[in-house]
Amino acid sequence: MRILILLLIAAAASASADSPSFTSRAAIGSLNGEQIYDHICQGCHMSGAQGAVGAGAYPKLAANKKFVSWEFVALTVLNGRNGMPPFGQPANQEPSRATHLTDAQIADVVNYVRSHFENKYKTNVTANQVAALPHPAAELIGPQ
Amino acid sequence: MENGDRSNSLSRRQLLQMIGSTAGSAAMYQAMSSLGFAAESPYQGPIDLQGAPKGASVLILGAGMAGMTAAYELRSAGYKVQVLEYNGRPGGRNWTLRGGDRYTEMGGLTQQCEFDKDLYINPGPWRIPYHHHGMMHYAKRLGIALEPFLQVNYNAYIHSSQAFGGKPQRFREVKADYQGHVAELLAKATRQNSLDASVTKEDQEILLESLREWGALDKNFAYVASDAVSDRRGYEKSPGGGLSAKPIPSKPVALRDLLESGLWQGIPSGDAFDMQTALFQPAGGMGRIGEAFGRELGPLIRYNSKVIDIHQDAAGVTVTFADTVSPESKQSAHADWCLCTIPLPVLAQIPMNVGQRMAAAISAVPYAAAIKVGLQFKRRFWEEDEHIFGGITYTDLPIMNIGYPNTGFQSGGKGVLLGAYIWGLSAMQFTAMTPQERVQKVVEYGSQIHPQYHKEFDNGVAVAWHRAPFSLGCFGMWTSDTRAKHYEDLCQIDGRIALAGEHASYIGGWQEGAVTSALDAIGRLHQRAVAQGAKA
Repeated sequence: MRILILLLIAAAASASADSPSFTSRAAIGSLNGEQIYDHICQGCHMSGAQGAVGAGAYPKLAANKKFVSWEFVALTVLNGRNGMPPFGQPANQEPSRATHLTDAQIADVVNYVRSHFENKYKTNVTANQVAALPHPAAELIGPQ
Repeated sequence: MENGDRSNSLSRRQLLQMIGSTAGSAAMYQAMSSLGFAAESPYQGPIDLQGAPKGASVLILGAGMAGMTAAYELRSAGYKVQVLEYNGRPGGRNWTLRGGDRYTEMGGLTQQCEFDKDLYINPGPWRIPYHHHGMMHYAKRLGIALEPFLQVNYNAYIHSSQAFGGKPQRFREVKADYQGHVAELLAKATRQNSLDASVTKEDQEILLESLREWGALDKNFAYVASDAVSDRRGYEKSPGGGLSAKPIPSKPVALRDLLESGLWQGIPSGDAFDMQTALFQPAGGMGRIGEAFGRELGPLIRYNSKVIDIHQDAAGVTVTFADTVSPESKQSAHADWCLCTIPLPVLAQIPMNVGQRMAAAISAVPYAAAIKVGLQFKRRFWEEDEHIFGGITYTDLPIMNIGYPNTGFQSGGKGVLLGAYIWGLSAMQFTAMTPQERVQKVVEYGSQIHPQYHKEFDNGVAVAWHRAPFSLGCFGMWTSDTRAKHYEDLCQIDGRIALAGEHASYIGGWQEGAVTSALDAIGRLHQRAVAQGAKA
């Protein structure tokens, strides 16, 4: 068990900020805002937060006027929006399978995207502020 | 004391979590199988739509399994049918990537599939359970040759990077040892009279005999190395013919090692209703079904059509679309009715005048991230060196699954396997990489199970479903909560518009969900059309 924990710490430490290498599921919990963007958000919102277009679109987060509201950004990360999955820990459920981000991580990634990619909002959102917002009601049911 | 209890339960929880992360894929797999997909397909045989009003028309959005099933049946029933499809091919998520195919994901990165002739991967669905009667029906009707899909291969691996020195274990050994040890324990409990309250004396005798048979126990009800046990878990040296043919029995793994490895979580992988033998795959790739449907429907499908607006009024439904090849020119299509099978993340962004309830339902379903990576190797080493013919290896590594081809056994030349099938946060991380990085990472991880990867790797393709331009995700993820709030609103006809697709089913993520939801929706649309008479 001790060995496993050490391995996880090593994996977290090696998670580089600007090259999205892989972080184990268990180590996701120690990623900071910038790392969360690079490892997770970037999958859809793309490098430089430029968004992408297909039959539908992923919004460009860069220079995004909606980001004036930190609650809008935090609620989106917590509960998802349209097809975007929720990342918040379901209310009244024990943490499981490391498939969620903590309130502190959500605060951190909200602060990161609101102060980068030509967004210049200075508000420093805290974990407590995120905790006070509605969280997802239940675990999602996964694939086959 | 309360305090003591709490710390005790916390450590148990931590232990279970740890097991969850060591044998992750198998555990999640099992959890998912038990989360409510075990419903028999409601497919009732060929649909019978009699008395279609003369001249009535239906516009279908999306040429995937749902859209093409509907188009096929509505055309037979006498409706005037037109289908608009975003891609330049039929099938939607029913899709096979073969050598020579090109695929451009959102963000603009293009992959050229360099597989040899006849080699392929199915980036989307890859198996059809025998009880998906709707899919079986259309495969037959379209003349699709089916091959067995080997869900369980006793000689494939269950692997944990944290157990047995990271050495993959054969499914056969894990299953035999787990079953044997559990049988021994239960026999012991029975003989120590621990079960007297729940099993009668007579039944205990039967139970003991059944445990001996089930677990390959010896005459003392012990699970120990023997010919009988080797006949389950395999021999140290297998029996043969002639001189030096005598077998050497193998030694079971100790119960403690087996329990702590977490590998037992992989044992029920073929026990879920959707995974039970027999399962099938179309010869030549899952995409054969979509392709055959496309040929069958021919000019009814207009490809490269991106829907930008859906409007209904008393006169019918008008859909505005752009040709993706020349997007400046907007065009429109009109019909009395509309069956919309557009995946919800896309549909949520298209202006459509439906009621608030359906609109809310469309926005309420997040779509799964999933990744599939196909790897071509210079030879079929999994067959030649490891005698694995088809089936799936499960691992706690981020690649989660390795799927071996269920066809072309012992053929010379190159081979393609599914190097990764990943979901959840791991899939999101792989999505954030370039396709080349994904392939490279998958080769790196997979080589921990098959060291031959390094020497034999040839080329690969990686499909990340969140970057699929036509669906923006793999499939809709419901919870019991969102089902209760939104499912009926999603499925109710709104004026002249009905929705269909796996997202409008209780067989989520399966093609059968798409087929049965389409049949259900057109049955109800038909009733409305008939009720409204000749001209809507």
